[in-house]
Amino acid sequence: MIEIRFHGRGGQGAVVASELLAQAAFLDGREPQCFPFFGVERRGAPVTAYARIDDRPVGVRTSIVNPDVVVVLDPGLLATTPVCDGLKDGGLLLVNSPRPVERLAAPDSVRRAAVDATAIAVAHGLGSRTMPIVNTTVLGALARASGAVSLEALGRAIDRFVPSHPEANRAAASDGFASVRCVDAGVPSSAPPTAWAPTAPLVLPDGPIATVPSRSIRTAAWRTLTPSIDLARCTRCNFCWKYCPDDAVELDARGYPVIALDSCKGCGICAQVCPPKTIAMVATEETAP
Amino acid sequence: MAKLTIPAEEWMYRGHAACPGCGPALAMRLLLKGLGPRTVMSIPACCWTVIGTPYPTTALGIALLDNPIESTGASIAGLRAALDALRIEDVRVVGFAGDGGTADIGLQALSGMLERRTDAIFVMYDNEGYMNTGVQRSSATPQGAWTTTTPVEGPRRGKREAKKEIMSIVLAHHPAYAATVNPAFPEDFVRKAEKARDARGPRFLHALTPCPPGWKFSSEETIELGRLATETGLFPLYEVEDGVYRITRRLGTLKPVDEYVRLQGRFRHWEPEDVRELSEEVRRGWERLLRLERETAPAVFPKPPVAIAAA
Repeated sequence: MIEIRFHGRGGQGAVVASELLAQAAFLDGREPQCFPFFGVERRGAPVTAYARIDDRPVGVRTSIVNPDVVVVLDPGLLATTPVCDGLKDGGLLLVNSPRPVERLAAPDSVRRAAVDATAIAVAHGLGSRTMPIVNTTVLGALARASGAVSLEALGRAIDRFVPSHPEANRAAASDGFASVRCVDAGVPSSAPPTAWAPTAPLVLPDGPIATVPSRSIRTAAWRTLTPSIDLARCTRCNFCWKYCPDDAVELDARGYPVIALDSCKGCGICAQVCPPKTIAMVATEETAP
Repeated sequence: MAKLTIPAEEWMYRGHAACPGCGPALAMRLLLKGLGPRTVMSIPACCWTVIGTPYPTTALGIALLDNPIESTGASIAGLRAALDALRIEDVRVVGFAGDGGTADIGLQALSGMLERRTDAIFVMYDNEGYMNTGVQRSSATPQGAWTTTTPVEGPRRGKREAKKEIMSIVLAHHPAYAATVNPAFPEDFVRKAEKARDARGPRFLHALTPCPPGWKFSSEETIELGRLATETGLFPLYEVEDGVYRITRRLGTLKPVDEYVRLQGRFRHWEPEDVRELSEEVRRGWERLLRLERETAPAVFPKPPVAIAAA
């Protein structure tokens, strides 16, 4: 049995990815299972989904704590979520990332693979520019890197179960299959190691529970486009400040806007409401990590 | 440098977990600018419970109580009673609930709080569905809108039933103050929040808060959609004080509702006939509002200024 855990953000299609993988495995004549972790379903929020593939009916119904394969649809999650928790030695970590595969932060004991699924999805017009839908591209890469399903079965699953743009999705899966880059276990990672402290047992205080201002949380990794202000043409009308739902625009002493880049989620409202149109939304070169 | 038209102080902090372009997040930011820090807030299960408080952080610079989805009205009544017992008079009590926690599951407690004349503010942020759990229909979802539980396939064409008129229900309780607010009009929003802060007795604000993933539009369009909702006459801005209606944003000719509808994927299946029906309904609603404003307007001279002697 092969056990696969998907990590993504709401809106990227992690849950649908687990379903498509299971459907493709079924078309390959195998016995699949898939289900999402039940949690909040907001766009941008971390999402987990599971899939199992076996040659016999799968009896176990629990969530997957020791996966053979971990698939990460958003590279920003590497910095905020312990995605490699429980990943077996010799297992596979597949990340949607434009980075060199040697530089993915992961234990040396696992195989690593990377595919620039965001660029491929955008090239095929999947999702919006602010939120590309990368799941089918990543599944193509997964088919190659893990051998869990055949690309042919994946294509048939996409035709049957993807309601919009099945052709673009199939082409994206093929591109993902062709362009995935792998490195074997044992090759040391050149990324700095990330230390994960175990979660401490919860002790509720007598007073207020949540007292740390959320300003300490960085939400920059949600962003695919970054506002860029042409200050020479700025009229200091402060509309960008007034309409920001993330409190991510500050005004300096002279009234010019300053974007808090650690917090801006790249929604694009400031660019839209700016009367002289001095704000452009430009592609974020590379988000965290 | 333009003067600030709304208070500079921020009581909603960055780092919260709302979706990019979130209407409810901007509504909270503007509401707290109007209410200020001497505020205690109760939030039921809704988007904002997860937006605001990823443990151990809080995105709100005010005291916050989490309560079950049906209980917002009851919990703010309890908070008010507790503050009264402690003789704390200058702290406002506010409930901040989604449309499900107000017009569906929370309706009983809301009605109870209004009827008992609880000295508190109830704010409904209306994203027209159960968005936090993945876009299910609520009684506030508009007719003909797609949701996951009102699909568009075969003969099914989105929600069959009309949107519940929460303002009419609230106004039937004769609140001290009730108003519609829209984060696309920040000055009007903050002014009404300040008015609600300074009034006494039960107060209610109905905020229309566009939801990019639930309404299926691109996150940068949140403000444009909000503006169109009001300028088409679909969501007019008005307030009702002691029964007197006052429209706070006058409209000359109503913009075509089609401009609002076509920006949203949840209405993608609409035919011209659907748009015509909605236009008619919006026009009737707007005319009704104008009539209510006329009929409830206080007389310019409550009493004749000079007694007219009989000839």
